[in-house]
Amino acid sequence: MQLMVEARNLRKTYKRPDGSSIEAVKGVDLEIRQGEIFSLLGPNGAGKTTTISMISGLVEPTEGDASIGGYSITKEPMAAKRLMGFVPQEIALYPELSARQNLAFFGRMYGLGGKELGRRVDELLEFVDLSDRQNDRIDTFSGGMKRRINLAAGLLNNPPLVYMDEPTVGIDPQNRRRVLDTVKLLRDEHNMTVLYTTHLMEEAQELSDRVGIIDHGEIIAMGTQDELVQQVGEEDRLEITIGAQEIAESHLERMQQETAGVTRILCNPPEQVSDDSSESMPAKLTVFAKRGRTALPQILQDLDSAGVEIQSVAVREPDLEAVFLALTGRALRD
Amino acid sequence: MRSILTIILNDLQIFFSQRGNLPGLLIIPVLLTLVIGWSLGQIGGGGPMRLRVDLIDLDQSGMSAKLIEDLRAANDAIVLCPLDNDAEDFCSLGEEPLQLERAIERARTGRASALIVIPAGYAAALEAFEIISVDYYSLSDPMQPGPVLQSLNAVLQRASTASMTTGVADALLTNLTAAFELPPLGAETRDGFLGALYLRSQEMLTEQPAPVRFQVADAESASEDGSMNGFNQSAPGMGTLYVMFTVLGGMAVLLRERSQWTLQRLMALPLSRAQILGAKIGVYFSLGMIQYFIVFAVGAALGMDFGSSPAAILAVMAAFVLCITALTFALAPWIKSEGQARGLVLLLSLSLAPLGGAWWPLEIVPEFMQTLGHLSPVAWAMDGFHDLIWYNGGFTDVLPEVGVLIAAAVVLFAIGIRRFKYE
Ligand SMILES: Nc1ncnc2c1ncn2[C@@H]1O[C@H](COP(=O)(O)OP(=O)(O)O)[C@@H](O)[C@H]1O
Ligand SMILES: [Mg+2]
Repeated sequence: MQLMVEARNLRKTYKRPDGSSIEAVKGVDLEIRQGEIFSLLGPNGAGKTTTISMISGLVEPTEGDASIGGYSITKEPMAAKRLMGFVPQEIALYPELSARQNLAFFGRMYGLGGKELGRRVDELLEFVDLSDRQNDRIDTFSGGMKRRINLAAGLLNNPPLVYMDEPTVGIDPQNRRRVLDTVKLLRDEHNMTVLYTTHLMEEAQELSDRVGIIDHGEIIAMGTQDELVQQVGEEDRLEITIGAQEIAESHLERMQQETAGVTRILCNPPEQVSDDSSESMPAKLTVFAKRGRTALPQILQDLDSAGVEIQSVAVREPDLEAVFLALTGRALRD
Repeated sequence: MRSILTIILNDLQIFFSQRGNLPGLLIIPVLLTLVIGWSLGQIGGGGPMRLRVDLIDLDQSGMSAKLIEDLRAANDAIVLCPLDNDAEDFCSLGEEPLQLERAIERARTGRASALIVIPAGYAAALEAFEIISVDYYSLSDPMQPGPVLQSLNAVLQRASTASMTTGVADALLTNLTAAFELPPLGAETRDGFLGALYLRSQEMLTEQPAPVRFQVADAESASEDGSMNGFNQSAPGMGTLYVMFTVLGGMAVLLRERSQWTLQRLMALPLSRAQILGAKIGVYFSLGMIQYFIVFAVGAALGMDFGSSPAAILAVMAAFVLCITALTFALAPWIKSEGQARGLVLLLSLSLAPLGGAWWPLEIVPEFMQTLGHLSPVAWAMDGFHDLIWYNGGFTDVLPEVGVLIAAAVVLFAIGIRRFKYE
């Protein structure tokens, strides 16, 4: 299978103003195949933007290199960048210019001009469904509309590869839906390879052919969704929201040992278990269990007899969230 | 190259589409140019069109006094130092007397427009119809004589023509007396006659336009309408001040382009870093030149002088704008917020401008302030404009100023380019 993007041992160390340094990315290897949607999934601050900045030539890697279509981004940046479209996490548009002026400017930078440029801009405005607002200034647009123009601006050169860095941040559900559908359309009908970063498990789950999970600057798991889920064992998760009563550590341990199929119990946030019982913040128990539905009645009974108030219960099939939780002990959203 | 031009045009379009930029670019500098131009004109030319001319009279004769008087009459923009110094010490002499050596130094450094030395024996030579030279020192190009040299030439020509006329009459008188065997005239009568003839011929020459009269008249008419002199200072001065405001403002824009990620988007395009940086430098250079053009256009509409070398004016403008653009890029990497950038723009513009003589000509401040003022690039630009606009200088006259500004630009660019933050 042909590789569209190949990154080897990417590292980035940032210097802080106070003189200390932070290693934002710690030796990332990536292989993105032609025609797939590859998601980089990880919480805020995991190093997604830094990684994408290095493989698009925005930021020089402290160590390592990446290639696009065989061209090294550090040694042959021009050739590599010609194959690439880029949709940054920020709305990287000129707020004072209209949607059309923005697209026309970036189009010209790819060497488009005259009728060809006009046609391409029309096409993209149509594609993101903003033809009717094309002459309005970007600073009059809603967040969702800005996101759509931001996306269009990354597609001007009709690239075989497009990077999208959290393209749904801060928009309403309708616009999010539109963006997700657009991403699938790019792969299915325009034959593009997409690198998509997100901190939302649902998005990665819906879009990805393959997923890389990134945390603290490291890829901690990579593969298709099935491969990842198998990697951590096919356990269900029981998510139980409880009132802020005290539960003794020993009680949880006993539950884990005595209930059939239960392998692990996590409490989030953990300090809620013993401290701060006066606060009415609900806590969340996550119980990992083989055949979760079978184990549920006994668990509820146990908690009830211990005097724990149960507010809600959900049974989750194995998913990327579970993989992340299993690998890091933390929930993705924290 | 095409991409660089596209970026420059795009950024200029953005600059002009931000209405908040227009008062600073257009309205305020134009108003200030008008107000300051008029007020400098009101206070008797405000200095700009008064020419400081040192004069040392080693002859101390009636003839030399006459020459001095004629010089005053020929061009009332000329202030003879120390003779006509005023209470404000326009001559900038301080306590010390004006010795020849010091006067030559003043002329060499341009602190006086010119030095005229009337040699001892001037009157005797004129009376004996001998050749005597009056020494003239000035920075301005002898090929393009300024108003002082023109006035001096006119006056000297008058003096020598009158002297020659008298000489001819004297010879005629002697010959006629001999030819017609007339009784010789008494010495007193004869001297009286020749003296009257000398004065009369001088008068006639004064009434008659001297060949160079038109240039001198030009300077005179300029000083009659004082407002015009004012714009000769206020247009270059306010242009220079607002070039700083406009170009230094780029610090904030560069910061914003990084925080709004449009700079990063440029870097994801197939462009080299050199192209991006070149384009951004081009943007602020263009804005600076546009700013100068606006203010000078207003000056032109109000009749300011442009001297004899518009190309040299353009060179001074370009050198100054380049220097301020380089300063912008040298400072930009250290800026953390737009508020900080705006503060720094105000601080720099409002200190460098008066220090360098943008509001009032440096000629009127004490000598140490003039020296100190040349730490400011504004002083070099203003010196250049003065050479060209007031003293009618040419390209070679502003080479030192242009050279200093470009050298400063090179140093500042070296810092700015090495430190430029792409990430
Ligand atoms: N320019 C920078 N200077 C210093 N630290 C940075 C810089 N950019 C990112 N970081 C740090 O690097 C880490 C990774 O950031 P980022 O790549 O933006 O994460 P993500 O996109 O996954 O949210 C964070 O801790 C962030 O604070
Ligand atoms: Mg990010």
